[in-house]
Amino acid sequence: MPLSKKRIGIVCPYGWDTPGGVQSHVRDLAEYLIRQGHYVSVLAPAIDEENLPDYVTSAGRPISIPYNGAVARVLFGPIAFARVRQWINNGSFDVLHLHEPAIPSISLLACWAAEGPMVGTFHAAAKRQKVTFAVAPILEPVIEKLTARIAVSEAARETLTEHLETDAIVVPNGIYADRYRDGSIDKRWTGNTIGFIGRFEEKRKGLDILAAALPAVISRYPDVKVFIAGPGDSEAALKEIDPSLHSRFTFLGRISEEEKANFLASVALYIAPNTGGESFGIILAEALAGGASVVASDIPAFDSLLGHGKYGTLFESENSADLSEKIIDLLGDESKRRTIAQRGKLYAQEFDWDVVAEKIYDVYEMAMVGGSTVSLSSENRAWNKFLGR
Amino acid sequence: MSKYILGALFLTFIAWYLSYSATRLDRLHNRVETSWANLDGLLQRRAAIAIEIARSEISDPASSLLLTFAAHQAREASVRDRSQAETGLTGALGILLETSTDISGANEQDLIRELKDLTEKIKMAVAMHVDAVNRTQMVRKKWFIRFFRLAGHAPEPVTYEFEGDVL
Repeated sequence: MPLSKKRIGIVCPYGWDTPGGVQSHVRDLAEYLIRQGHYVSVLAPAIDEENLPDYVTSAGRPISIPYNGAVARVLFGPIAFARVRQWINNGSFDVLHLHEPAIPSISLLACWAAEGPMVGTFHAAAKRQKVTFAVAPILEPVIEKLTARIAVSEAARETLTEHLETDAIVVPNGIYADRYRDGSIDKRWTGNTIGFIGRFEEKRKGLDILAAALPAVISRYPDVKVFIAGPGDSEAALKEIDPSLHSRFTFLGRISEEEKANFLASVALYIAPNTGGESFGIILAEALAGGASVVASDIPAFDSLLGHGKYGTLFESENSADLSEKIIDLLGDESKRRTIAQRGKLYAQEFDWDVVAEKIYDVYEMAMVGGSTVSLSSENRAWNKFLGR
Repeated sequence: MSKYILGALFLTFIAWYLSYSATRLDRLHNRVETSWANLDGLLQRRAAIAIEIARSEISDPASSLLLTFAAHQAREASVRDRSQAETGLTGALGILLETSTDISGANEQDLIRELKDLTEKIKMAVAMHVDAVNRTQMVRKKWFIRFFRLAGHAPEPVTYEFEGDVL
C-alpha cells in the first residue's frame, strides 16, 4: 500500500440495511480501505438512519421498486439528488467509487453530478433485452464519465459490452478466505453428505433440481443426506418436495461464519444448482476457500468462477439426471473429490480481500493519475447558479 | 405569436444541446489524455526495468542487446508507432523469461516480480485507454458534432493496438 492516504467516496445503490451481495461487498471494501489508513465515506440509502456505522452517510429512505425481475430497494428523486450533491461537495474526495451506476439509484445520480476521477463497478449480469435499446442512449453519456470500469465477473463484463458498448477490467468480488481456511471436521456432517447454503426458498437457487436428482442417488448410496443452511421457511420448502424424501433433508437455519467453515470442511459435496440470476457466485468462492468439493450448474457465472470445471464439477443447468450422475460419480471416488477440492482451495486465495482490494486500489490509482479531485460537474454548477444556490 | 415562442424554445434547446455535447466531448478527450498519461508512465517504467534486466545476470549478451534495443525503441517511438514498439519489447521480454528457467539471486527475482506486477497494471491501463479512445471516436463520428465542429482543435485520438494476449 502506498504511503499517501486518500479520501475515497463509495456509493452503494441499494438499501444499506437489507442484506445483499453489493451491500456486503461495499461494506467489506470500505472497512478494508479504512484499515489501510484511508479516509472512506459511503453514501447509501438506509431505513434506520440512527444505527449506521460512522463511515456511512444516509441518502434517505430507499424505495422498493420492481426492477429487472426482482424488487430493488433503490433511491432517486430531487431530494436524494440534493443529498448526493451535498455529499460530493462536502467530501472533497480524491476518487469516487460508484457501484452499479447503470441502475436507477444514487450511484447513477452521483455519476451525473460529479466530475473527476470516478470508478464504476458493475455487478449484474443480465441477458440482452429490447428495453436496452431504449435505455442505452440515456445511460451512455453518464456512464462514459467514469474514468475506469470494473466488472465483477466475465458475465458482468459481457453484459456491459453488450448493453453499453464499453469494456471493463475484471476484478472479482472479495471474500475473507482465512475465515474458511481452517474449518474443523464436524462428525454430524461427514459421510455421504450433500451441503447447500443459501436462501433455499428462492426458485432460482434450484433446491427443487437437487430434490429431483436425489432418488437416483439414493438407489446407489442409501445413506445419503442433505444439509441445508440459510434463512427461510423450511416447512414451506418441504411442501414442494416429494414426502418420501423428507427424511433426507435437515434444515440448519442461519449458521455462523465459524460453523460455515466447519460445514464446508465436513460435507462430502457442496451443491449449487442455481438456475440463473447469478453474476459472480460469492458462495462458491467461499465454498472453495473452505475446501469443499463443489458441484455447480453450468450457468456462465459458475462456469467462469470454477475455471470451466477445473476447480469444481459442472453439470448441465436444470438437468437433474446429469446432476445425479455427477453426484454418484463423485461420492464413489474420494481421491478425485479431494484433488479437485485441494486445487479449488488454493485457487480461492485469489478472491481474498488482500488480493482483490489491492487490485481495486490499483484501479483507483490509475484513475487519479490526472491529479484532479472530485468536484460537482460544470453543468450542475451552472444549474446551481441558475437556481440561486 | 406562439410560433415565435416555440421557435425560441427550440433554439434554446439546440444551444443547450450543443453546449452539453461540447462538454461531453471535452470530458472524453480529457479521459483519453489522462488514461494515456497513465499508460505512458507505466510503459516507461517497464522500459526502465527491461534495461535493468538487460544489465543483470538473467540475460546473456545476445538477449541483452535485443532487450536494450527494444527498450530504447519503445521509449523513443512517436505516439503512432508506440504500440508496435511496445509489442516488440513485450516479445523480447517474453522470449527471455521463457528461456531463462532458473533465476537465482534476490535482486533478479525482485526484478521479475516487479515486471509481473507492472504487466498486470499495464493490462488494466491498456483496457482503460482503449475504451476511452473508442468512446471518443464514436462520439466524434456523430454528424452534428462534425457539422458544428464541436471537437475543435483537439487531435483525433489514436487507437492503441496493444496485443493483450502477448503480455
